[in-house]
Amino acid sequence: MRSLRRYWRVYSAFAANAVKLMMAYSVWFWVELLGQIFMLIIFVYFWKAVYANTETVSGMRAAETLNYILIAQIVAPLVRWSLILDIGGAIRQGTVAIEFTRPVDFQARWYVEWTSQMLFQAIRLALPLGAVAMICFGLRLPADPAVWGYFIVSFLLGNAVLFCFDWAFACLAFYTTEAWGLHILREGVAAFFSGALLPLQMLPGWLQKGAAFLPFGQALNAPVSILTGITPVSQAPAVIGTQLIWLVGLFLFSRFFFGVASRKVTVQGG
Amino acid sequence: MPIIEVDDLSKVFRLNQKEPGLRGAFKALFKPNYTDKVAVDHLSFSVDPGEIVGYIGVNGAGKSTTIKMLTGILAPSGGAVRVLGRDPHSQRVANARDIGVVFGQRTQLWWDLALIESLNLIAKIYEVEPARYKQLLDQFSETLELDELLKVPVRQMSLGQKMRAELAATLIHEPKVVYLDEPTIGLDVMVKERIREFIKQQNREKQTTVILTTHDLGDIEELCQRVIIIDAGKVIYDGPISTIKDRFGKYRTITFETGSASTAGLALPDGTELVANEPRKLVVRFDRTRTTASQVAGALMEQADVVDFSLAEPDLESIIKQIYSGALREEVAV
Repeated sequence: MRSLRRYWRVYSAFAANAVKLMMAYSVWFWVELLGQIFMLIIFVYFWKAVYANTETVSGMRAAETLNYILIAQIVAPLVRWSLILDIGGAIRQGTVAIEFTRPVDFQARWYVEWTSQMLFQAIRLALPLGAVAMICFGLRLPADPAVWGYFIVSFLLGNAVLFCFDWAFACLAFYTTEAWGLHILREGVAAFFSGALLPLQMLPGWLQKGAAFLPFGQALNAPVSILTGITPVSQAPAVIGTQLIWLVGLFLFSRFFFGVASRKVTVQGG
Repeated sequence: MPIIEVDDLSKVFRLNQKEPGLRGAFKALFKPNYTDKVAVDHLSFSVDPGEIVGYIGVNGAGKSTTIKMLTGILAPSGGAVRVLGRDPHSQRVANARDIGVVFGQRTQLWWDLALIESLNLIAKIYEVEPARYKQLLDQFSETLELDELLKVPVRQMSLGQKMRAELAATLIHEPKVVYLDEPTIGLDVMVKERIREFIKQQNREKQTTVILTTHDLGDIEELCQRVIIIDAGKVIYDGPISTIKDRFGKYRTITFETGSASTAGLALPDGTELVANEPRKLVVRFDRTRTTASQVAGALMEQADVVDFSLAEPDLESIIKQIYSGALREEVAV
C-alpha cells in the first residue's frame, strides 16, 4: 500500500508537469482548434458529396456514417500521438541519456505523461469540437450510460494498445538513430487503418481482415464504433476482450523489445 | 570499502561505415560495412567514499563513455562496474536514486518551465522530504545565487545561470555519488569559482563522492586530490596530483629579487639556465634531476645581493600537455 502511494506521488508529479508543458505554448492550442474545426467541415462535406447520389455505402446510411465521422474526427486528435518522433528524437539528440539517469520506469513515465496530456486535450480540444459538431452538424450522442462506459474503457484500452505498439516501433530508432522516417511510415498507415477517415466496416472484406491485424483500429475505430452504435452494446464486451488481448501481447513485446534495444543505445555526441 | 569499482571494463561500439553521398547511404543500408571502435579498453580502478577524482584525457579518450557506463546509461561490452554494490545498468532505477549526473552539454531541466517548477518536480521524483527540500533549496539558492533565477524558464538562461541551476537540480536529492561531465565548459571565471566552491562544500559536508571530467585544469587543481588519466580507452595514470607533478615537473623556476641593479657575469650550477635577467629581477630555471633548489639559491645568494626569492610549483597544464603528447607511454615502454 505504501509503495503504491509512493508511485502515485512520483507519477502524478509527472502527469501534472506534462500538462503544464502543454500550457506553455497557448498559441499552439488555438491553431490546433481552428485546424480541427476546418478538418471537421471538410470531412462533413466530403461525405455529404459521397452520399449525394446513393442511399447507402457498404450498407451504411448517410446519417450513420456522418455521425461516425464527426465522432472519429473529434477523438482522432486525442489519439494521434507523436511518440515515435519524441522518443526517436530523444535518442537522436542524446537526451535519452538524461532520461536514463532518473529513478523511474522509463515506459511508465511516458505512458503517464502521454495519458495525462491526452485527457487534458479531451477537455480542452474535444469538448469545444463536440460543441461545434453538435450545433453546426447535428452530432448525435447516445443517452445510454452503459454505452458511454464501454466507450471510455475501450478508448483507454485502445490507446494503451497504441502506446505499446508505438513504443516498440520507436525502439527501432535505437538501431536507425533516425525517427522521422519511422514516424511518417506509421502516420500514413495509421491514418487509414485507425478509422479516422472512414469506418473500417466500410472496407472490402480482405482489407478489413488486414486492418484487424494492425493495432490502429483498436485506438479509434473500436471505441468510436461503440459510441455511434455501429457496434451494438451487446457486442461491446467482446470488443473490449479483443483489446485486452492486444494490450497484453503488445505490452509484453514492447517491454521485451525495449530491454533488448536499450542495450544497443549509442548516445550520440559528447 | 570502495564506493565505485571498475573491473576490466570495456566498451566497443559497432559503427556502420558509410561512404559519402546517397549511393553510400544505400550501400550502407543493404551491405553494411561494420567496424568496431574500442572506446574503453580493459579499464580498472576504484574510488573510495568522499573522494573527488579528476577523470581526464584528450577528446575521444573514452571519458564520457566511461561515465555513461558508470551511470547505467550504457551497458558494458566486457568487464564489470559496481557502484554502491550495484550493477548500474541492470539495476538502473535503484542506482539512479543514489547518484547525480551533470552533462555539461545537455540539460536535465525542463526547457519551458521555470526553474522552481523543474526543481519541485525533481524533488518529487527523488522523493525528497518536503521539509528537507525547503532547507536545501534555501541553502542552494544562497551558495549558487539562484534567487532571481527560480522564476525564469531555463530557455531564457545564460550558460552560467543554466549550469548553476543544473548543479542545484543534480544535488537536491543529496546523491552519494555525483558525476560531473565537463561542468565548467564555456563558463566565465566567476561562475567557475562559484561552482567549484559549491562542489567542494557538498563534498566536505556530505562526503559526496565526485567523479569529474574536465579540460579545465583549474578544476582539477582546485578540487581533486587524485586524477585518473586515460588515453585511447586505457588508464595511463592513476594517483595523486602531487606525484604526477613530481614525475613530470622536471623543470622548476626560481625568481630572485635583487638589491643591486647589476647582476652581470653570474656563474650558475649545472642544469640551470637564466630565463630572464632584468634590473632587480632574475628568473632561473633548473632541472630537478641534476640540481636542487637549495643549491641554485645558495649559488646565487653568494654572488648577488638577494632580497627575496620564490619557487614556482610546476604548473599542471604543461605537465598534462607532456603526458597527452606521449611522455607517459614512452616512460612505460622504457
